[in-house]
Amino acid sequence: MRTTLASISLLVLGLLAASSPAFAHHGNASYDTSKSVTITGTVTEYHWANPHVWVKVDSKDANGNIVHWVIETQNIVTEVNAGWTQSTFKAGDQVEISATPAKNGAPFGRFNGRIVINGQVFKA
Amino acid sequence: MTIRSIWAASPIALLLFSVLPRASAQTTAADSLDQIKIDPWNSVPLHGSAYTGLKPGPAPRHDLSGAWDATGDAGPNGPPAGIQPTGAYEHRSVLPGNNNPPGGEPDERHIPNPLPYTPLGEATMEAHKPTGLGVRSVPAVEGNDPVDICDPPGFPRMDLSEFRNLEIVQTDDQVLVLNQFFRTWRTIWTDGRELPKDPEPRFYGYSVGKWVDDYTFVVQTVGMADRTWLDNQGRPHSNALKVEERYHRVDQDHLELTVTIDDPTMYTKPWLALNKFPLRRQPKGFDIREMYCSPSDYLDYNSNIGNPIDAPAAK
Repeated sequence: MRTTLASISLLVLGLLAASSPAFAHHGNASYDTSKSVTITGTVTEYHWANPHVWVKVDSKDANGNIVHWVIETQNIVTEVNAGWTQSTFKAGDQVEISATPAKNGAPFGRFNGRIVINGQVFKA
Repeated sequence: MTIRSIWAASPIALLLFSVLPRASAQTTAADSLDQIKIDPWNSVPLHGSAYTGLKPGPAPRHDLSGAWDATGDAGPNGPPAGIQPTGAYEHRSVLPGNNNPPGGEPDERHIPNPLPYTPLGEATMEAHKPTGLGVRSVPAVEGNDPVDICDPPGFPRMDLSEFRNLEIVQTDDQVLVLNQFFRTWRTIWTDGRELPKDPEPRFYGYSVGKWVDDYTFVVQTVGMADRTWLDNQGRPHSNALKVEERYHRVDQDHLELTVTIDDPTMYTKPWLALNKFPLRRQPKGFDIREMYCSPSDYLDYNSNIGNPIDAPAAK
């Protein structure tokens, strides 16, 4: 019985490992630190959450198609110390965000500097 | 110790207190730090410039109590030192002249101050795949950091990574360390007991401490489970790990922590992880903001960012 349970546990663990990648906590390995992009658009969601604070922005590409960007920063405690709050962004804000893009070319980025919210430069 | 009790403890102070108006006594009293206004809830720690011009009172005897911040001393280009995203501060996993390494290296031989690994230590370190900053960082999808799935960081990782705000509480027979990151706490016994001879390994080990002089508290800890990492960089330890912490109260507002790692299974000699690492006291009334590993938040983060960012590039 014990062996069976252990086998099942291992199987379950194996399935979990196969189906859900490690919880992410990105260093530089997922971002192309040699590049920077500017994302201009409208905030659709702002997540003041663990492990990292992140925002969704709808932006138009060169052909006028909407691209759904997701841009993350650090954890809440670090961002609070840098002057961010749970109301720094809200849905509908017009923003311009400088970010380090993901290596895989998907519309993901990490805040890396300039932030403009509704025409005002955000100075934390 | 409160300002009032420091005054009460000194006969000269009592004399002065009797002849000086109270307001004057307070401005010349032990510490002006406590006069600085802070947010009463979710307090934001004071950093470097806030301490300029303050005149800390002398270190109180046998007293570490208070709220402390370990994040204050960033280098000119580095992150806040206490958080140590690139590993134990004396052996940071960076490249010479580059505090923001791209990751991807198989080992640590190029860092400025490599660790004295045994062959087993080297192999174990290389089997650990960190996802935070550092020369060996891998994409999250390839990582195996136990903290990335909300496992407890354990001790001494709570000193060597994400070392942020902490509250130290002293009772008659314990020193309690209440740590912000993951809301972890540990008990350091001061009742004279011996360390366990054959401890059942646990995440935060078994700690005893004693004052070796009026201002220096030395803690010995054993029995840490080898499934925890020493730091964000995947530096390993065995169940035989012994850690010494020296808390030296410099003055009322400053504490220094020195941490020595001794694990002959993984390292050929003991090594310093922190050397007189500075902690700054926070004003009385400091309320530590919570910082949890919330599995539901992590799942949400992963479905929105963690997984797609590490997906293979679109063809």
